[in-house]
Amino acid sequence: MALDPKRLQTLRYAEDGTVATVTLTHPRIDMRLVRELTEVCDHLEDESPTRVVVLRGAGGVFCQGIDFADFRPDEPVDIHGFNKWEKLCARVERLQKVTIAVLEGPVVGGGVQLALVTDARIMAPGATLQLNEVHLGFLPGMATFRLAKYVGLGHARRLVLRCPVVGSDEALRLGLVDEVAADLETAVARTVESFGPAHVVAVTLARRLLDESYQFGFEDALGHFLAAQHRAISQAEFLATLRRAHGREA
Amino acid sequence: MESARILAVGTSHPPDRYTQQEILERFRVVNPAVREVFQASHIDGRYLVLPTADESGRPTETQGELLAKHRRWALRLGQQAIGRCLEGTGLGASDIDCLCCVTSTGFMLPGLTAMYIKHLGFRVDCHRADVVGMGCNAGLNALNPTVAWARANPGRNALLVCCEVNSALYVYDDTLNTGVVNSLFGDGCAAALVRADPLDEPRFAPRVLGFESHLIPDAWDAMIYVWDEAQGKFSFQLARDVPYVLGLHADIPVDALLRRHGLRVRDISHWLVHSGGKKVIDAIKYTVGITAHDVRHTTGVLRDMGNLGSGSFLFSYQRLLAERGVRRGDYGVMMTMGPGSTVETALLRW
Repeated sequence: MALDPKRLQTLRYAEDGTVATVTLTHPRIDMRLVRELTEVCDHLEDESPTRVVVLRGAGGVFCQGIDFADFRPDEPVDIHGFNKWEKLCARVERLQKVTIAVLEGPVVGGGVQLALVTDARIMAPGATLQLNEVHLGFLPGMATFRLAKYVGLGHARRLVLRCPVVGSDEALRLGLVDEVAADLETAVARTVESFGPAHVVAVTLARRLLDESYQFGFEDALGHFLAAQHRAISQAEFLATLRRAHGREA
Repeated sequence: MESARILAVGTSHPPDRYTQQEILERFRVVNPAVREVFQASHIDGRYLVLPTADESGRPTETQGELLAKHRRWALRLGQQAIGRCLEGTGLGASDIDCLCCVTSTGFMLPGLTAMYIKHLGFRVDCHRADVVGMGCNAGLNALNPTVAWARANPGRNALLVCCEVNSALYVYDDTLNTGVVNSLFGDGCAAALVRADPLDEPRFAPRVLGFESHLIPDAWDAMIYVWDEAQGKFSFQLARDVPYVLGLHADIPVDALLRRHGLRVRDISHWLVHSGGKKVIDAIKYTVGITAHDVRHTTGVLRDMGNLGSGSFLFSYQRLLAERGVRRGDYGVMMTMGPGSTVETALLRW
């Protein structure tokens, strides 16, 4: 089913050349947003000619985490919605596009989780990051799986168990974000530029091998690398590189 | 037209299991390259029917003895797998109306179907087809006409039997090529009951929705059976890069199959991929874009039994069912790879 951007209630979606921009217009994560963002992922992979996706918020706020309106104290416990959210995060993490997150305002809980599954994160100087879930009595999703890979286990324990509000200087120092920029528009353009031609096959294979580097031993990882490399060097993009290297027109 | 369902599956293997180390010791393999291939195979053990060795540690079988071994064990393994498949279905061999048998590990004339009818209680008017010499992919090449027969004959029972006695392919000459082959293949047989019911009651068995094939003519001789004059035996030759070449093409039939049904890779819950070897499984993972978890049964069957040839994907299917995690409405893809070179696929829905 084709995506109808006008029908979206929690997002704005726009394409400009090779860049798609997804704007979260709803500062809280609810099942509507999960559903719509999943639809956008379908569109991006199935129909969109873009190569890069910029994920950002509206009105100076990226995302402030879960909306408890979907959960009621008088209803039975339900894990299903959390599973949907994790499927969405894994989907974004493996998307056949380069993904960039623009972090503004207080980025909380699920907003941080979402940022961690993108390829590049740009942060406004006044923005903050906080995984506040444990203070509220629940868990910060699979950030428990991903966070330590960015910052090491010691920092991850502090960030998850004590829920500190992390400013942009510290976020940059910890490696949670790649850049702190007052002029976000210029920074986004520069980041898009920095991915160069964004060969989707090479990017997604390299990203998968990196993500799996904490998961497999060297022998398994070597087998995976050789399989992935064989695929990469069989693509038209690499053939073009070889033709250029040999001084012929691609 | 009714859909055909896979209603039951049964498997068998010879009684004796050998670790890679035990095989190296038994045949006193000293070539370090061959020893390394055995040890890096990601196979813990295999069920085999191994011959005794002479004083130098070499197996002593002639081609004639290998063919006799194939015939003897094909009967025994077939009997067990067919019995286990039909057990609990309320059916016996005499209820089977169409028998389709697959093997590539020993040439027989008459074929397996005639031998099974003679010895295992099938009716003499049972329709039959022998799919011979098509290699590891042949299970799906045979499932395709079996499903077509079942759909054309609603309510009647078709049985697919994939029986490979890879021990009957043993050539021992201390080269790396035979070393690779001897390190990889195991013996096993799988049987599957297929039927299309006229009043198809909802039952928890997958419908087979369609097939898609992809031949790679450029890799025609990448996996090939040749006569080894010096040894007086058939010898299976595997080209070095064929696992990656197969992997590289694997997404072509998968995409065609899924698109035809309006599906994407992300819609598939279960992958039943032939346990061809570690490299080809890796190549498929990174080309089709599926995870180590998706191919857990493929790598599990490889680890526990080696490459079982044409019935291998049915061993993975049996392990998937044993997990009891399949839900109604789930889609599954079966995929087999082999000589041709070819990638064969089938789409299932529970």
